[in-house]
Amino acid sequence: MVKAINSALDNAMEKDDSIILLGEDVGVDGGVFRVTDNLFKKYGKDRVLDTPLSELGIVGFGIGMSMAGLKAIPEIQFQDFIYTAMDQIISQMAKLRYRTNGDYTLPMVLRTPYAGGVHGGPYHSQSGEEYFATTQGLTVVTPSNPYDAKGLLLSSIELNDPVIFLEPKRLYYAGKMDIPDDYYTVDLRKAKLLHEGDELSIITYGPAVPLVMNTVKNNNINADVIDLRTINPFDVDTVLKSVQKTTRALIVTESPKMFGVSAEISATLAEKAIDYLSAPILRVAGLDIPIPFALEEYYVPSEKRMMSAVNKIMQYR
Amino acid sequence: MIEETDISDEKLLNAYKNLIIERFMDKKMLNASRQGFLPFYIPLMGHEAMHIGLGLALRKQDFIYPYYRDFGVLLQMGIPIDTIMSQVFATANDNELGRDMPDHFSLKKYNIGAVITTVAGHLMSAAGIAYARKYRKIEGSVITTFGDGATSTPDFPVAMNFAGVYNLPMVFFCENNGFAISIPTYPSESGQKSAYEETKGMIYRKAEAYGFNGIRIDGTNFIEVYKNTRKALEDSKNTPILIEAMSYRMGPHSTADDPNKYRKNEVTEGSEKDPVTVSQRILKEMNILDDDKIREINDEVDDFTSKLINKYEKEAKPDKSTILDNLYEEEPWYISEERGDLQ
Repeated sequence: MVKAINSALDNAMEKDDSIILLGEDVGVDGGVFRVTDNLFKKYGKDRVLDTPLSELGIVGFGIGMSMAGLKAIPEIQFQDFIYTAMDQIISQMAKLRYRTNGDYTLPMVLRTPYAGGVHGGPYHSQSGEEYFATTQGLTVVTPSNPYDAKGLLLSSIELNDPVIFLEPKRLYYAGKMDIPDDYYTVDLRKAKLLHEGDELSIITYGPAVPLVMNTVKNNNINADVIDLRTINPFDVDTVLKSVQKTTRALIVTESPKMFGVSAEISATLAEKAIDYLSAPILRVAGLDIPIPFALEEYYVPSEKRMMSAVNKIMQYR
Repeated sequence: MIEETDISDEKLLNAYKNLIIERFMDKKMLNASRQGFLPFYIPLMGHEAMHIGLGLALRKQDFIYPYYRDFGVLLQMGIPIDTIMSQVFATANDNELGRDMPDHFSLKKYNIGAVITTVAGHLMSAAGIAYARKYRKIEGSVITTFGDGATSTPDFPVAMNFAGVYNLPMVFFCENNGFAISIPTYPSESGQKSAYEETKGMIYRKAEAYGFNGIRIDGTNFIEVYKNTRKALEDSKNTPILIEAMSYRMGPHSTADDPNKYRKNEVTEGSEKDPVTVSQRILKEMNILDDDKIREINDEVDDFTSKLINKYEKEAKPDKSTILDNLYEEEPWYISEERGDLQ
């Protein structure tokens, strides 16, 4: 996925000289995950900025650039460090179009690696998509494979509104895939049906997708698997259509359950699909604790936990 | 002392008139809010000379990112009064459709940033705008204003640091009015200032740490504000600069606090340090103004501002159907659904 994101940035920067990358170590060093490798060499210091160590500054600087007609793509090195920039994100980035009634628009993409998979503990492994998804005015996107990562990032860059682009770090070096070198986009507003089935709809996204797909394959689950791709606004039509067909729904996220994205999808299904449902909507999610260092695998959803939920739904009478 | 300027007498007199408009407007707006015509108002008495001087100093090619107490800057810039008043009274004609509080202007076409309530939330935006203009080789500078309270927030040192690191064409203009609501610029527990408190109070000296100059000026003298700000705008082509303009907030912070509870009102209307008194003294010394002219302008402005406020108090508010517009370029499904809830 790292190469796919790098290729997307390269394609976009080649096409449009208003695109500026900025963040800690994104320039000479090429980023701690190598996402911006070689871009400094290719596009120079005015377009790939090694900034002072301040998330508030990185995001705020990007906002100003985009207000003035550039297209900033700031990187926050780990989602866990984003909180000193939350005032910028919530107060300025998310609200600018609305509060000025479109006098200013903010085309910018804030990229950051998130969630677990590397034993990073409480400060290198948080999910946190809810903080952004519950902020009106933001679009929250997360890819689950290299092809989508490139296409969704290029679509995000084309959007005339701010995007929080969450990159599952557990997938950075996983799932080798041949992807086109050329520019292409993937529709931000469309979820993807990754697997087709008749008896259950499994709704998931980003870092939880490989677990879901493996579990479905290993256990021959007769299920639709829906990868949301965009968390807010999510593709309600695809979700509803599937649940109407299967009459059962399971939501799988790596972020904790309480007040999570899974709660919103679940509530939407309860409001709009209650007449089709033949079993309770269940959720498999991260535990409601900060993500621990040594025993991370017990925090994130597992095949065992997922199968227990699948069985409960399928055996419900 | 006679001030020397490169501005014509006519222009100075006009600037003085704007200063008086701001003073009258401020008092009447405060009244309008107390009578319920405005739900909230941010008084600016004591700030007038900084606003008018700054407005005079701005060149066509400059960009200003103001804060929420800068009504007079726009007035002096020559922004149409209808544009200003429609925003303040949140009418249907407001560029922002009444979405934000009074004096939260957003006027991209006049090179004015989108005023934000968080006291320093715009400082990094201003820095980013300066970077973009430098990158695109646009002439001119970016000036951003803020109060003394804003210098206590993290945004201030971060923005100063970025401005220094990227050598941005920027002027930081601190309207030091002595108070962040009830907290003085240099709160002191002992009543006697320590060396630390003395230094901390000197906001302009903070620029040195970021590799550029800071100056302290008299914020009650609009000609001094004009001269120093114009020079700073010119110099900022090569280096950022911080201006600390010293003034005194003569009114409350907003319509929600009573200054009598937390301070002695050291500067009162008509006293020696009132920017109106200062302006009258200077212009009299320059033989541009006399007592007859002062009375004439007062009468004219009194009438003008009353009529203006009466007119905008009665203007229609935006239609409720607009409140769901313009959250995103493409409307999400749930916003479309919520349109039904508005019926």
